[in-house]
Amino acid sequence: MSFQRTTTFNSRRQKNWSRNQNTVVFISSIKLGPVAHTVLVALMITVLGLIYLTQATRAMSYDYATQKIDSQIAELNTQKNDLQVENARLTALEAVKSSSVASTMTKPATTEYVQQ
Amino acid sequence: MNLELQKGSRSNVLAAVIFSFMTIFVVRLYYLQIVQHDHYVRLANKEQIKRLTIPAKRGMVYALDGQTPVPLVMNQTVYTVFADPQMTSDNEKIINTIRQIAGGNARTNLKDLLEIKDSRYQILATRISRIQADKIKSKKLKGIGFQEESQRVYPEGALAAQTLGFIDFSGVSRYGIESKMDTRLVGKDGLLQSVTDVSDVPLTIGNNNIDRPAVDGENIVLTIDRNVQSHVEQALVDGLKRTGATKGSVVVMNPQTGQVMAMANMPTYNPSDFYNVTDVSAFNNDIVSSPYEPGSDIKTFTMATGIDKGAVTPEATYVNTDHIQVDDRIISNATLGQTGTITFQHALNWSLNTGFVTIAKRLGDGENITRQARDTMYDYFHGKFRLGQLTGIEVAGELAGTIIPPTSLDGNAVRYSNMAFGQGLDVTMLQVTSGFCSIINGGRYYKPTVLAGTLDKNGNLIAGKSVSPSYPIKKSTADQVREMTHIARNTFFMNIDTPGYYTGGKTGTSEVLKDGVYTDNETIGTYLGYGGSEEASRYVIMVQVSGDRMHLEGGLHAEPIFADISNWMLNYLEIQPKG
Repeated sequence: MSFQRTTTFNSRRQKNWSRNQNTVVFISSIKLGPVAHTVLVALMITVLGLIYLTQATRAMSYDYATQKIDSQIAELNTQKNDLQVENARLTALEAVKSSSVASTMTKPATTEYVQQ
Repeated sequence: MNLELQKGSRSNVLAAVIFSFMTIFVVRLYYLQIVQHDHYVRLANKEQIKRLTIPAKRGMVYALDGQTPVPLVMNQTVYTVFADPQMTSDNEKIINTIRQIAGGNARTNLKDLLEIKDSRYQILATRISRIQADKIKSKKLKGIGFQEESQRVYPEGALAAQTLGFIDFSGVSRYGIESKMDTRLVGKDGLLQSVTDVSDVPLTIGNNNIDRPAVDGENIVLTIDRNVQSHVEQALVDGLKRTGATKGSVVVMNPQTGQVMAMANMPTYNPSDFYNVTDVSAFNNDIVSSPYEPGSDIKTFTMATGIDKGAVTPEATYVNTDHIQVDDRIISNATLGQTGTITFQHALNWSLNTGFVTIAKRLGDGENITRQARDTMYDYFHGKFRLGQLTGIEVAGELAGTIIPPTSLDGNAVRYSNMAFGQGLDVTMLQVTSGFCSIINGGRYYKPTVLAGTLDKNGNLIAGKSVSPSYPIKKSTADQVREMTHIARNTFFMNIDTPGYYTGGKTGTSEVLKDGVYTDNETIGTYLGYGGSEEASRYVIMVQVSGDRMHLEGGLHAEPIFADISNWMLNYLEIQPKG
């Protein structure tokens, strides 16, 4: 049985004969021509462009999300403020004086003081 | 095979043409992108970058309820409803909706407004609430828009109106705290500069974005106690009804700190309806902005000056003949008959002018109100009790009044004899009250203030800076005059005060100067008094009532208002009675 070597190893021992240097180099048998190179470069540029566009669009979508949240915060703040105003009105002296609780209150006949 | 282009071939010509065009393009692009770079960047920024102002919230104003801050002035978002008559279609529906929801805030002539077709902006309703605006929005009316704005609201209504002031329609602060403390209340607008899309939504792209948040105005807490203020206003209204007087003012101060607990003037107004006020004098805080001749209240100041200089004592005597001569003038008592050798205490009880002119004379050589006597009086009145000087209180419109100095030609003996019993000088109620506080608190003059501090983001009260008092008179002097006013009050108003407390005061009835002449058909009634325990007075109250061509007296017309407030204050401050 015999087999055919598909990879060629060229000894570099003769060229670079020194310690810790590879003595063989890999050389692919697949060759790319200039057209293939151009296509590959164009594809890479296209992919990079698409990545840029998707990221930029995503950043923009965050802006819209931020704007929406800001609007909600503003709306909630307005509601909170309205409630605070309403609370202040309900606890104002005039409101307290005319409340049902106040109308049932009576003045004490006598007042006693704790000796200090 | 030789692929080189032949000279003069069509391909060469085409290449040359293309090269020429390319050269033109490159040159043009160079001009546009390099030479004109800044110009086009400016144009682009103008189109794409928006500068949005982030409005700062105006600070709120609080009063105290005991020790708890409660809001007096707040902000609320309201809406203006407008129509573009060129866009509206179903006018009947618009009119019905606006009238039904906006109610009294809607314009009365809606139909006419919507028919002005050459206009693109007609206001249909103003100052409607968010809920009302939402209801109108839900109807999806074509051609109807909303404009948001912030307005001041007053939960306590007209309470302390002249102390607060208001913001007019052009956003300018008028009168009171609003005007005086505008720089602290207004805050600082923020800025958002950003590239925006067509809907003005800010985008994060771009290098020149600015996001500077707004700095809201300070929330200011006043020393005004809303319960005291409310009772004072009611007591004043009741008092004016009883007396028929048309104008009145009351100030209540804490003599131990100089803090104003209440300031009330009648007639008053509601700051939320300031545009309905027909008499602008209602905006004035007369307590600080209307100097007047204070009358006999000033006798306490003359007494303090005399005692402090060692010229007289409460028990010292003089001979009262109901008249006393100063230069070529004869000065008489308003109350006649208390003649003979009497004490200065007696003179204070009966408010006898002759007694206080005598003190002025004893500050000199005993016979005349000499330059030395006048210098002393001026030093005490103007320099120490700060009459005729701005107090620096934090409300707008304060006036200083006038104390004529002895160096002036008008500062003669007659002038100073009149000043000894409260005429011939113009001072404000606040000046008199502040000076009187120093007489009954042991001799410490505190600058009057309405500012308790500020409220932080967590709602905590941050107290303002405390100011050290000055010492216009000795403590022994102050204690003696305090006791004298206690006796003076008990001489005539013994059974009016709640028993077990230590109160005192002095009546004042001032003549009114009109066109430089004292009128004989009008007087102003005042009462200046205090209350608390024997150890310490807890409040000073000054009441003034007046009216055109009305004779109003301190004891008869102002004192009942004082008594009403004073007795209420004793309860409110939970002061324990003695005995």
